[in-house]
Amino acid sequence: MLEIRNLTKIYEDGTKALDNVSFSVPDGEFLVVIGLSGSGKSTLLRCINRLIDPTEGEIIWNGEDLAKLQGEDLRKARRKIGMVFQHFNLVERSTVLTNLLTGRLGYAKTWPTMLHRFSKSDRDKAWQTLARMGIEDQANKLARELSGGQQQRVGISRALMQDPEIMLADEPVASLDPVLAHSILQHLEDLNKEDNLTIICSLHYLDLVQRYSTSVIGLREGHLVYQGTKKEIQTMTDDEFKTIYGEEAVRISDTSLEGSVGEVVAL
Amino acid sequence: MKAKKDRVYKEAPTLPSLIPPWLAAILSAVIPGLGQALGRALKRGIIIFTSFATLVGLLIWRFQVAAPRDTGAIDIVLKAFKLQPVFIVIAVFFALMYIWNIVDAYQIAKSAGKPEKRKPVLVFALILIVFFLIGWQIGKIDLYGFFTEFDDSFPILKQVLWPWEKAISYPTEEVIGTAELGFPCTDAPPPQSEPREDKPYLIADPTCGTPTMEEVGKNPETGDWERMVTPGTVITVEGFNFDPAQEVEIWWRDSAGRFYIHRDLETDTNLKVMPDEDGYFEVDLVWPFPIGDTIRTNVDGVAEWQLQGKQISRIGTWEISEELELAFVLMIETIFIGMMATFFGVILSVPVSFLAARNLMSASPFTLGIYYFVRFILNVIRSIEPLIWAILAIIIVGLGPFAGILALTVHSIAALGKLYSEAIESIDPGPIEAVQATGANWFQIVMFGVVPQIIPPFVSFTIYRWDINIRMSTIIGIVGGGGIGYILVQWIRNWKYQEAGIAVWFIAITVAVLDYVSAEIRERFV
Repeated sequence: MLEIRNLTKIYEDGTKALDNVSFSVPDGEFLVVIGLSGSGKSTLLRCINRLIDPTEGEIIWNGEDLAKLQGEDLRKARRKIGMVFQHFNLVERSTVLTNLLTGRLGYAKTWPTMLHRFSKSDRDKAWQTLARMGIEDQANKLARELSGGQQQRVGISRALMQDPEIMLADEPVASLDPVLAHSILQHLEDLNKEDNLTIICSLHYLDLVQRYSTSVIGLREGHLVYQGTKKEIQTMTDDEFKTIYGEEAVRISDTSLEGSVGEVVAL
Repeated sequence: MKAKKDRVYKEAPTLPSLIPPWLAAILSAVIPGLGQALGRALKRGIIIFTSFATLVGLLIWRFQVAAPRDTGAIDIVLKAFKLQPVFIVIAVFFALMYIWNIVDAYQIAKSAGKPEKRKPVLVFALILIVFFLIGWQIGKIDLYGFFTEFDDSFPILKQVLWPWEKAISYPTEEVIGTAELGFPCTDAPPPQSEPREDKPYLIADPTCGTPTMEEVGKNPETGDWERMVTPGTVITVEGFNFDPAQEVEIWWRDSAGRFYIHRDLETDTNLKVMPDEDGYFEVDLVWPFPIGDTIRTNVDGVAEWQLQGKQISRIGTWEISEELELAFVLMIETIFIGMMATFFGVILSVPVSFLAARNLMSASPFTLGIYYFVRFILNVIRSIEPLIWAILAIIIVGLGPFAGILALTVHSIAALGKLYSEAIESIDPGPIEAVQATGANWFQIVMFGVVPQIIPPFVSFTIYRWDINIRMSTIIGIVGGGGIGYILVQWIRNWKYQEAGIAVWFIAITVAVLDYVSAEIRERFV
């Protein structure tokens, strides 16, 4: 159970990215965060693993307040929180295998890793993960040589190498075409169902939200403006949408994505 | 200049002129640019006035330089016109520029306040032409001389371009064949040289006689005192066993043991005889007059002279010339100067580059202060040429390669520090964020998130700098910083153009090879 209490983030330039946001995520949930660009989705995700330090509030997870952790304790907590990024954030000039092994850095001893030495079990784990994601044959290529979909699989693999209990996914499919988007989200769904991995994922397209989420929260200008279950989002009305995406949002009927319900485009 | 002009047009006057056009023209005739300035084209007026003032100053200086001995403006101008006709051209265009400045003032004042129209540019074109012509005069540009003297310098240029005759040399040995002479003739003149099989020798006929004599006496016919020369005995000299096809010099040794070379009086050159293919020659020589008064005689009262045929003869086969060897050795030294400078430069500039990277140093005002300070120092160091650094280094460590290494190191630190820091500034923060999110510590983040991103540009810049340093090290020797430049400048100053040509070739080949190699390596990394 992850519990966010009164989370506020004010950037140095005065921007209030999050304003008193509270919600909780039961274990095994596939929580989707929706909202316009700049609504605070990325900030929220990054506050959870403390890539961004929240200004106020608590992030209670396994009885610990992540917001208060420092140094070694923080790094230990981060190990259990995997993260997937919109632009994959792979080290492009390193091999796929090295990118995966990066996921084990939190567990490995510092000095051997300085020489790029990892234990046998770490290496075996890397190969298993690659096989699971179906990119075993790419292991020795440079990350930049891979296609976008493959790169995101490497990104997921790297997060999996951490043995995570939570997976944060910051618009993981925004840089991919619709078919690849489904493929990547299906991987996340598998992890959610098979490994009972809690997933917190920000998405833009309503049809994807409806297809994959088990619960949804909506952010607008740093405020939590919507909270709903899978059922509730299936029956979401245009008015509800507009509270999240603003008056400019339109709902476009779209049949190209597996004949799904529709797509919201925030203009 | 173009930017300035554009600005003038954009801020074209929209207000009416302060003065009527005719007054603007008169004012600009008195002070160029004043009419335009009051005609609501202030910047145009300032540019024209500044240009005029500068040009007048330059012209006064150049006229005085051209006619330094004359006084009075008119004399100076006339003399300058006579000596350097380019001044007439300058004067004509200056006059045109002045007149057009008046016309321009009229036009500007007239069009002020009217709907926007393209402003005339001719006055600026004329100003540029006058600057160009003065530049021509200051630069002493002499295209005629360039083409005529180019012809004369061709033999020397040929030596530089194709210097390889000097690349090989032959070991030499001086061989001498002699014949004895006596003066005056007695019953027993000096014997002929013994014919020998293995060594050169001379046969003189006769072996005694009289040197050329000179005395001052009264000419019996005219009664004038004059220098009278009695030519010496003509001696037929045959040489045997000399090296074929190698010049032989003929030397005299007088009775006092003084040596002098035989001068051919007709051509006033040192006599050189060429033996035939058997090593034989024959030449008639007039016994020259002795230099100095000392005459030593032997017990019989005979002054003993000797004739010598001297030949520098090649022995053995060709070998690499001293110059080629020197150029080669110094080229190696040069390459290593560049290499060591790059090596030290890299080592020292890596830490510096972290201090000069804005993204790493913007955390606090203090670190930002360090950033600005380091950047400033790097810019200052970089703006001073390596040759000047070499001169400074020589003051400290003296002439030689170490001074060159120091100079290039200093410059490399500044140049690489900037390039490296820019590479650091341009790294993608995404991977760093991702590595951080895995729970990695600071060292691991640097090793896995930062280093893989900066290694390729660092390698690329390092090779680029190595390339530059070797090119620089070839000329750093000109001021005494070691390497091939040092000997190159020595050879040029001693008119040893072939030797200099060898050095030039070595530099060109090395630089070309390195250029290619560094481009190849860099391509793999970028």
